[in-house]
Amino acid sequence: MSRFIARRLLLLPFVALGVTALIFSLLQLLTPAMRASLYITDPKQLNALPDIIRKYHLDQPVYVQYWEWLRQVLHGDLGWSETAREPVLTAIRGYFPATFELALYSFACILVLGIWLGTLSAVQKDKIVDHLSRSTSISGASLPTFVWGLVLLMVFYGHFGWFPPGRLGLDADLFVRSPQFHPYTGLLTIDALLNGQWWLLWDALRHLVLPVATLTYFITATLVRITRSSMLETLRADYVRTAEAKGLPRDVVVDKHARRNALIPVITLAGLLFVGLLSGVVITETVFNWPGIGRWGVTASQQLDIPAVTGFALIFAGMLVLGNLCADVLYAVVDPRIRLQ
Amino acid sequence: MSAVRVPSLVAPGAPTVPRVQPSAWQRTVRRFRRNPLSVLGLCIIVFFVAVALLAPLLAHPIERNPYMIPHQGYASDPRPPGPGHPLGTTEEQFDLYYGAVWGARSAFVVALTVVGAGIAVALTLGSLSGYYGGWIDEVVMRVTDIFLAFPGLILAVVIVAVLGQSARNAMIAIAVVAWPTYTRLLRAEFLRVRDMEYVQAARAMGVRDVFIIIRHVIPNTIYPIIILASLDMGGIVINFAALSFLGLGAPPGYADWGQLISLSHNWILGTAGDPFQYWYTLLVPGVAIFLFVLGWNLLGDAFQDIFDPRQRGSV
Amino acid sequence: MSVVAQRGLAVVAIAVVAVLAYGTGARGAAESVRNPDTLIILTYGDPQSLDPAYAYDTASEGVIWPGIYETLITYDGSVLSRYVPRLATTVPTLQNGLISKDGLTYTFPIRQGVHFHDGTVMTPEDVRYSMLRFMLQDRDGGPSWLLLTPLLGTDSTRTKGAVTVQYADAAKAVTVEGQDVVFHLKHPYAAFLSILAAWSFVLPEKWAAAHGDWDGTAATWTKYNNPKLQDRYEFDHTNGTGPFMLQTWDRQAKEEILVRNDHYWRAPAKLARVVIRTVTEFPARQLQLQRGDADAIAVDRPDQSKVTGMAGVTVQDGYPALVIQVFHFNQKIDVAGNPDVGSGKLDGNGIPPDFFSDVHVRRGFAYAFDYGTFIRDGYRGKALQPNGPIIQGLLGYDPSLPKYTFDRQKAIAEFKEAWGGKLWDTGFHFTETYNTGNAVRQIGAQIVKDDVESLNPKFHIDIRNIQFSSFLQLTVQHKGTLYALGWAVDYPDPDDFAQPFLASNGQYPKQNGFSDPHVDQLVKQAAETADPARRAQIYRELTKFAYDNVLAIYAAQPTNFVVMRSWVHGWYYNAVLPPLANVGFDFYTMSKQ
Repeated sequence: MSRFIARRLLLLPFVALGVTALIFSLLQLLTPAMRASLYITDPKQLNALPDIIRKYHLDQPVYVQYWEWLRQVLHGDLGWSETAREPVLTAIRGYFPATFELALYSFACILVLGIWLGTLSAVQKDKIVDHLSRSTSISGASLPTFVWGLVLLMVFYGHFGWFPPGRLGLDADLFVRSPQFHPYTGLLTIDALLNGQWWLLWDALRHLVLPVATLTYFITATLVRITRSSMLETLRADYVRTAEAKGLPRDVVVDKHARRNALIPVITLAGLLFVGLLSGVVITETVFNWPGIGRWGVTASQQLDIPAVTGFALIFAGMLVLGNLCADVLYAVVDPRIRLQ
Repeated sequence: MSAVRVPSLVAPGAPTVPRVQPSAWQRTVRRFRRNPLSVLGLCIIVFFVAVALLAPLLAHPIERNPYMIPHQGYASDPRPPGPGHPLGTTEEQFDLYYGAVWGARSAFVVALTVVGAGIAVALTLGSLSGYYGGWIDEVVMRVTDIFLAFPGLILAVVIVAVLGQSARNAMIAIAVVAWPTYTRLLRAEFLRVRDMEYVQAARAMGVRDVFIIIRHVIPNTIYPIIILASLDMGGIVINFAALSFLGLGAPPGYADWGQLISLSHNWILGTAGDPFQYWYTLLVPGVAIFLFVLGWNLLGDAFQDIFDPRQRGSV
Repeated sequence: MSVVAQRGLAVVAIAVVAVLAYGTGARGAAESVRNPDTLIILTYGDPQSLDPAYAYDTASEGVIWPGIYETLITYDGSVLSRYVPRLATTVPTLQNGLISKDGLTYTFPIRQGVHFHDGTVMTPEDVRYSMLRFMLQDRDGGPSWLLLTPLLGTDSTRTKGAVTVQYADAAKAVTVEGQDVVFHLKHPYAAFLSILAAWSFVLPEKWAAAHGDWDGTAATWTKYNNPKLQDRYEFDHTNGTGPFMLQTWDRQAKEEILVRNDHYWRAPAKLARVVIRTVTEFPARQLQLQRGDADAIAVDRPDQSKVTGMAGVTVQDGYPALVIQVFHFNQKIDVAGNPDVGSGKLDGNGIPPDFFSDVHVRRGFAYAFDYGTFIRDGYRGKALQPNGPIIQGLLGYDPSLPKYTFDRQKAIAEFKEAWGGKLWDTGFHFTETYNTGNAVRQIGAQIVKDDVESLNPKFHIDIRNIQFSSFLQLTVQHKGTLYALGWAVDYPDPDDFAQPFLASNGQYPKQNGFSDPHVDQLVKQAAETADPARRAQIYRELTKFAYDNVLAIYAAQPTNFVVMRSWVHGWYYNAVLPPLANVGFDFYTMSKQ
């Protein structure tokens, strides 16, 4: 086991390097004049184009620029992001908790909903319940996220006024910036609890409802499908049929035996799903004006903010490899058959 | 256990002993017909294929490029369905009917191109990787690791930002994001099949590798790809729509459902007095995408139910 | 988990949502003022820097001026041709002698008893320091040229990256005499007051020096020249004299919060707080305005119909902006590797490099452009058609001067004469470009294509929308063909528009391969003459020249509108104030009730 972990950890710098090199060279395909658009945003500044290229070393060869960047990184400095107007590391540290909070709650909802619906579908295969649950979950993935987001916004904010966009209301916002509030994790719901401010928790949860609902609706389909097929496979297994033949009621069989085994592939998928969430969260963040890393990542890419995108790639790749590793370890722990391989 | 499966040296599914059970094909069709959702999925897809093929007849192209939607004037406010515009117009007066019809064609073009590119790359790399193993496998796996270690949408945005905005570049971007998954899947399948008895036997007999790959391995491994592809077809169109929303997909006025939905996104909320005033700008492309994705998802699920050997169970 | 547990969880979930919803209460569109002491503005773009010598984008400037930093003089409310004193006590004029007869010396008596936000008192030395700093910081692509040009006669302190300006010259240009600050110009410049009214921001010298900025001496200034965005403390820290102070600039939430300065040298502002938030999605802005969670929002023309008639919201329209939308002809196209010129020859499949150098071609395009439809559909009819780069609101604008109209016969006649008559029979094919994400330019590009193509089946025009980065690339390589770009006001003087459009060292003539020494003469003359009547005369001549030579299609001068909740009072329109939400805001005069 430890050799397995060690081997995977050894791959981490390789993958990280590979990802950053890929993104970096991709962006360097652009000419210096194009990359200068990061600094020149208005036609009035066009005169300064050659000076900007010179000032930010945009015309140096790719490997020189990459080497410079790498050296910086090894000193712990990911560079400056023009789009975030902050150092890259600060920006990531600031944006990430917001997205993480969104992803966490969405993930929880997706897990609960997905496993419930998937199990239900499997147990009631080909009956109305199965069709309904599958259609509902698929419908969530059948329209771009921003459509659901805007519809939800229209109904629940525009009409009812219950769940506003953004992360906090005005009063909560001012309070969070005041010295009376101590940020611990960056996740406002947790921090509100830790600060003992119930109304703040209320406010933060209120703002979470719609984006979480949008994300959940969009992604549940995948989990339902996997759970369903995994459950179906398990339900056909010998030991399940034996248990049923021996007279155990379906409920008990499903709860005590089938589900645990069926959840194994779900665990591996969960890891991928979480990462997929971080990617799919982009549009949700844009619609609901959520200050998260997805939206920033896209803006940085669109505006060719190379330090931001490469720094982002580095951190993300690192997280992914570690996440995959955890998932694999979990997988091996849960399923003894894997351990033996 | 499941029904008896007789391994065959020639092609799977062909009878080797006198039949007492219906043929695989008949079993497939019967299983398909039993599930109303699968039938629904198939009907939807057939409908869209018809619309896509008949597009020039259903909506006569006016511009030089038939994918550019004709427009009368450029006024901002969308017009409701009426004479001349059976389904209404979008912002800047692009005809929704034309967009919906030709959008079916572009949806298929985009989805099939991406899936085709993914499968092509997967077949080459995945087969080499899975069949030969060793260092080729390592290299290919690490490369897919690298591509998968980046959020898909953002990688797509970077690629379009570099290549420039156009429908073609958006397709390339989505394909670049999609190929690692196909490759991994195909490789896993290759690994599974490689160790099967009849393949070993063929190698022992001295049959050339290429031959084995084409005649034995690929037909056995194609089913998971078909499942993945059909499930993906809808997802690709959604991703294309996401890129249009970010201003990186097809240009405005291009007949693409995602682009039409993108054009509608400022109008979804209507006005203060009447939130549904511009319902048609969203409904027309929305229903189209919805049905398209739903159809492919149902079809993909159906394929999975049919082809996935782990789920075949008893007939 | 068991079925019972499942059901239980579902019930709990529903209950939580219900309590949350109930707890918030469903509010109708409230009639009583929400957040009565806080003004909330939702904008489209976020600020780049709060340093007044660095910021050259409206999102940044709108935050700092006139709320946080103030100028020596400023415009009299909406009237741009009259000035009122701010940090100076008197507006210099020829009559009161504060402007010398030769127009080279401007004297500003500085107000006493003004405090910066940190409590220190403003002195004339602070004013001098601020002016010198504004000029000498001179970051690439920044606003320093606005003061450098009249005071030092150059538009940059550097040439090809090396500093070429002497400190002594700068030190001589701005001097302190007693309680006055005196500006010594290189050449007379009629627009000088106009520039100062928008760009003479004052910050404290000691505070700047104490925080890693230039200490005001000759020896060190080059070290602080051409900084990067993050190099200066003033990037995200402010210390001005204005009626508001910066409380927070949250770059992740994209929000700036200003609080009232109770020690302002005039009576304190009525608003206690101003919140400026960036919300890129129009639907989100629309809904927040509707519910009263925002007081003013940015709305594009195409989206105007969605806010008209909203309860509790007023829309005021018809404010001419000092902005011009132009379609440029590139008269010297680089055809090498250029995807937009087709064959690069006049053979019906492309255009040659000097295609637009023939005035008949340009006139043909100018007559073939449907100005009426462009304004009607691109601006909902709320725009003017300019007759040249000198637009309405500027001295020298003359609506009686001729302008092009949409006239197919005349267009055909011009095209038939173009290139010795060859063009009509051969035809052409090229691609025009416009910036992604700009509906107006896209419409304009479409109109050019549709109208010109309808004249002759051999005329083919494609449209390509490109990102700004690609556009930069095109420009630097002179590969653009016919492209759309605008110009927005820096200071409300005709020279701000004449120079970039007509002078050979102006931005657009340089890009488009146009140069005429006689025009240069005229532009220079008009800039230096003090007599407004004479100036107006010269600008009329320049407008006629632009008309005769059709350097570009001057397509539209847009009109601004503002969308605010009805409980907002005290706003006035000023065309130079940086637009935060369609228009600029002077928070000092505004209140909510």
